Amino acid sequence: MTVQVLFFGATADIAGKRLIEVDLPDDSKASDVLERLIADHPRLDNHRLHLSVNQEFANGDKSLNDGDELAIFTAVSGG
Amino acid sequence: MTGQASNMDFFELTTEPIDLSSVARRVVPPECGATVTLDGYARQFTKDKTTGEVHETDHLVYEAYEPMALKEMQKLIERVKAEFEISNVGIVHRLGRLEIGETSVVISVAAPHRKAAFAACEWLIVELKRTVPIFKKEVYSDGERWIEGDGAA
Repeated sequence: MTVQVLFFGATADIAGKRLIEVDLPDDSKASDVLERLIADHPRLDNHRLHLSVNQEFANGDKSLNDGDELAIFTAVSGG
Repeated sequence: MTGQASNMDFFELTTEPIDLSSVARRVVPPECGATVTLDGYARQFTKDKTTGEVHETDHLVYEAYEPMALKEMQKLIERVKAEFEISNVGIVHRLGRLEIGETSVVISVAAPHRKAAFAACEWLIVELKRTVPIFKKEVYSDGERWIEGDGAA
């Protein structure tokens, strides 16, 4: 299956892009994506990262489906 | 981007300057006795929470995960109206580049009585800073830094 991964702010700067597609085995979880991204971009690991799946906050154990939209970002700082 | 909650509530993201009084006026219904409005704006001096060092900011850049931010803003309005005796809520957050002193966020709460409006407005800004995926970059004369909030969503 394929999922889209979005980056914002600090994570976009580290990844050097705002959107990638990731191919995964069928029974993957959000944490599998995170591990792969940290392997590709080790500086991500210097931050406390938050995940969303399909625009809802999610934990690493969230199961993924084909076409899901993941986002990875640091603690939000609006206001 | 604009979202619509029930009746007179609203929540928006905009790259244009925010007109404070028009936000405040839009939430006022006839039965209300008070509107509390928070004007959050770009600060020139920021103390680093860990080092205590003071940075002078030249300007700010905000970006958002816009569709999720609007969903989270709508959830805040639903939660605050369930929790407090208030009538209407408006939230507008600015995105893009902001100069020092420009308004970044306006929250207006109209209520029959002021006490609930103050409490609800405070609750909203605390929760917005914790849950709405908006990200602030401080740009200094000698560098820049994405700010990471304290709260876990």
